[in-house]
Amino acid sequence: MPSAGVTAVRILIGVLTAVVAVSIKNYRDLSAPGKRPDLDNNEYWGPKLKEPYKENKAVLPYDISVAPGLIADLKTQLDRPLNLQEPLEGVGFEYGFNSQELQKVVKYWRKSYLNKWNEREAYLKQFDHFQTEVQGLKIHFIHAKPSKAERKKVLPLLLLHGWPGSVREFYDIIPLLTTGNDKSDYVFEVIAPSLPGYGWSQGASRTGLGAAQASVVLRNLMLRLGFNKFLIQGGDWGSIIGSNLASLFPENVLGYHSNMCGNNSPLGNIRLLLSSIVPSFYIDSQHAHFYKGVGHVFRSIMEEMGYAHIQATKPDTIGSALAQNPVGLAAYILEKFSTWTNEEYKTLKDGGLTKRFTYDQLLDNIMVYYVTNSITTSVRLYAETMNPTQMGLNIDSVHIHAPVGCAHFLHELMHVPDSVLANKFQNRIQTTHYNEGGHFPAFEVPQQLYDDFVTFVKKAFA
Amino acid sequence: MKCLTVFAVIVAIFGAIVGYGYLVFTDLTRPLPKPDYKDDTYWGRGDGKNYAPDEKIYDFVLDVPQAEIDDLRQQLNRTLKLAEPLDGIAFEYGFNAYALQQFVDYWRDKYLTKWDERQAYFNELKQYKTEIQGLNIHFIHERVEEEVAEKKQVVPLLLLHGWPGSVREFYDFIPMLRKETNISDYAFEVVAPSLVGFGWSDAATRPGFNAAEMATVMRNLMLRLGHKKFLVQGGDWGSIIGSNLATLYPDNVLGYHSNMCILSTPLSILKSIYINYYPEKVLITRMFYDHHVGIWDKYKQLIEESGYYHIQATKPDTIGAALDSSPVALAGYILEKFQTCTGPALNQDFGAMVTVYGLEAVLDNLMVYYLNSAATTAGRFYAENSAKAYRDLQLDRVQTPVPMGCARFRNDLPPASDWQLRDKFPNLKHSMYFQHGGHFAAMEMPSMLYNDFTTFVQKIGLNDE
Repeated sequence: MPSAGVTAVRILIGVLTAVVAVSIKNYRDLSAPGKRPDLDNNEYWGPKLKEPYKENKAVLPYDISVAPGLIADLKTQLDRPLNLQEPLEGVGFEYGFNSQELQKVVKYWRKSYLNKWNEREAYLKQFDHFQTEVQGLKIHFIHAKPSKAERKKVLPLLLLHGWPGSVREFYDIIPLLTTGNDKSDYVFEVIAPSLPGYGWSQGASRTGLGAAQASVVLRNLMLRLGFNKFLIQGGDWGSIIGSNLASLFPENVLGYHSNMCGNNSPLGNIRLLLSSIVPSFYIDSQHAHFYKGVGHVFRSIMEEMGYAHIQATKPDTIGSALAQNPVGLAAYILEKFSTWTNEEYKTLKDGGLTKRFTYDQLLDNIMVYYVTNSITTSVRLYAETMNPTQMGLNIDSVHIHAPVGCAHFLHELMHVPDSVLANKFQNRIQTTHYNEGGHFPAFEVPQQLYDDFVTFVKKAFA
Repeated sequence: MKCLTVFAVIVAIFGAIVGYGYLVFTDLTRPLPKPDYKDDTYWGRGDGKNYAPDEKIYDFVLDVPQAEIDDLRQQLNRTLKLAEPLDGIAFEYGFNAYALQQFVDYWRDKYLTKWDERQAYFNELKQYKTEIQGLNIHFIHERVEEEVAEKKQVVPLLLLHGWPGSVREFYDFIPMLRKETNISDYAFEVVAPSLVGFGWSDAATRPGFNAAEMATVMRNLMLRLGHKKFLVQGGDWGSIIGSNLATLYPDNVLGYHSNMCILSTPLSILKSIYINYYPEKVLITRMFYDHHVGIWDKYKQLIEESGYYHIQATKPDTIGAALDSSPVALAGYILEKFQTCTGPALNQDFGAMVTVYGLEAVLDNLMVYYLNSAATTAGRFYAENSAKAYRDLQLDRVQTPVPMGCARFRNDLPPASDWQLRDKFPNLKHSMYFQHGGHFAAMEMPSMLYNDFTTFVQKIGLNDE
């Protein structure tokens, strides 16, 4: 009996030791810096050519004026009787975009917004728009320079939007960034591109342009414009593309600021899971309410990620469905401006859209998608990024040593704690929490985002 | 002695874990009792306090105003500027834009030009409407001819479609069912309704109309038509609703046949994984392995194909607004499913739908959605069946004594084996594995489905009533 017991204990100790050893090794592997993926910096994304590609490096002013015929056709479409079903009794936005609110939006769009379209178009043109060809794609960008009278030091800033956003999100923050004030010793020369496939930027003609490849294109854009070193600020895809850029091209990045910091490396995901189960171990109590438990996160993801699921698997189906379908496009996009601004707005019949935004703002952004007919190419980014090949690049395992700032706006869909971000952002110098604001802070609370950003910049160059 | 104590403690902890695991396992896998189900919930507008049911049965003839057809033609005539498919891509990224353009052109220039012909075809099967629980239900009702009734035993049959299908799926199947054939002692009086929220049936106006409510309404429809006992056949949602009907109202169901026999209980999922690794222990011939083995790839495929499910289950009104606002949107979205379901050999082929279903049939079905602006109300069914109220019923874990038959078409969703089906259907009378065919069996191979269905009915051993 005793010897059997001893043997059993020995076996158990042996097994436990092996498990611990394997875990430590795996942990070391997981937290070691990942290998920088080797991407082709000159990969061609344009249509098939008969002759070798010769990049046209000219940077030309770009006229975003919309053909009058398009506006006329849009008016005709919006004049049509709506073919919507009444919402279910007692329902706000729990089943998606409430058709009664959609009716209101469409009416405003047709009767107010489009009747002052010239005014809106002039508003969109207030910044200087350009286009240049990078790797076969015509890339559009806003270039906003501080006035020559500015005495403060100028830093270049690459400002990146996401989906379903656009450069329009930055129209209030750009003037703050380019105008000197006592909050900052710096002013910024802002390059705000439309992501490849979004807005006035051309989409790829072949498969493979995921977030990593997009970051190559945008880094080449900055080099083209003469910026060898620059700051990056982004949210949504802008956050992901921005961090990819910082991972791939550390020599170009002065600092990275995001309002949606994330870490998709294996270690990051393990820690994220653990932090959801045992939050107290990973999160300080003052901001505990930002970091919801695993149950809530899972439910939220299931509830809110239907669009991502379909866009990652059937982008051309949903894209074709929304192209030239203004009513559908409005419902599909504005649903996000409701729920991602504040999840609780789902209980409201109007989705709380006008609590934080004006219809003009929201419709400006919709128009960017509509007039450029870019919805399909924009959603392809999901298919090109959310797949095993792109995941296999494991780009989030590459350590970023540039200064990093993470701003957390309470109503963002999900927050990732610093402890989970640690292996990716080796030099995270600022983490802030705001009890106001959601997924679109540049759009919703531009002053707050600006203030946070310049505080980060101050620390970065201290 | 200390070693013994440690050993004993380890054994005790291990035993506790195993014991706990066993308790959880049995709790998750034991059959559940049949719930008492309220079969007269009012689903019309208002609170139904003064609801006086109209039990009359009204004739229904499809007669679309020419203005609607003209308007559709006009909508289809807008210049389409769809994004070019990526180089070398057919349908891997969803419905191909070139194919969509071709369909739209055909729909506008050829199909709508002969709309009167198509409408007449729709009306070849006799249709009616009647009010059940506050909802107007549209249905096909085809009785058996007198000469046939003299030679064969006539049995009532409830035929249930799914999404993105409609009663149109059954237009080749129903004529077979009514006929006298020498492979069956039976002929069938067919009732094929449009599901609530689909086709020409009303939709519910408040939350909660799930697949259990749908089964109730359909059962009450049959009672309205004087059929206390009937057979049920269905695929897609029709299969699930049929299964619920057999579960909640076993006294009414003579037999239940499905061409999408899936079972997603915890036990069934565990069994699926077991069969994947040990098919020889469960399946009687290698010929059946393909349907069950390679489960991880099959699950991966399901994830690839279920984006529509995810968005309809969570934001049906959003996607519904998009699809109801544009016939082009509706076409691409629905045709994608028909394209995919042509099977792996054909689903990247631009001619697949023509080969497998025929264009007219596919467009007829699309018109059912278009004419009724049913995309939103049909999509909501997904949300209702994902809601806690429905999931808590766990109807798939409730056994039913009703005789069951299962046709497994090769390219449909991963099916359950007999070993799995018997956990819910102990009276499984018949099952068949087909090496061909897909999700829309009634449309694709109606005679195969007819053969299988009648074989099942023979095996039930129905007494002449």
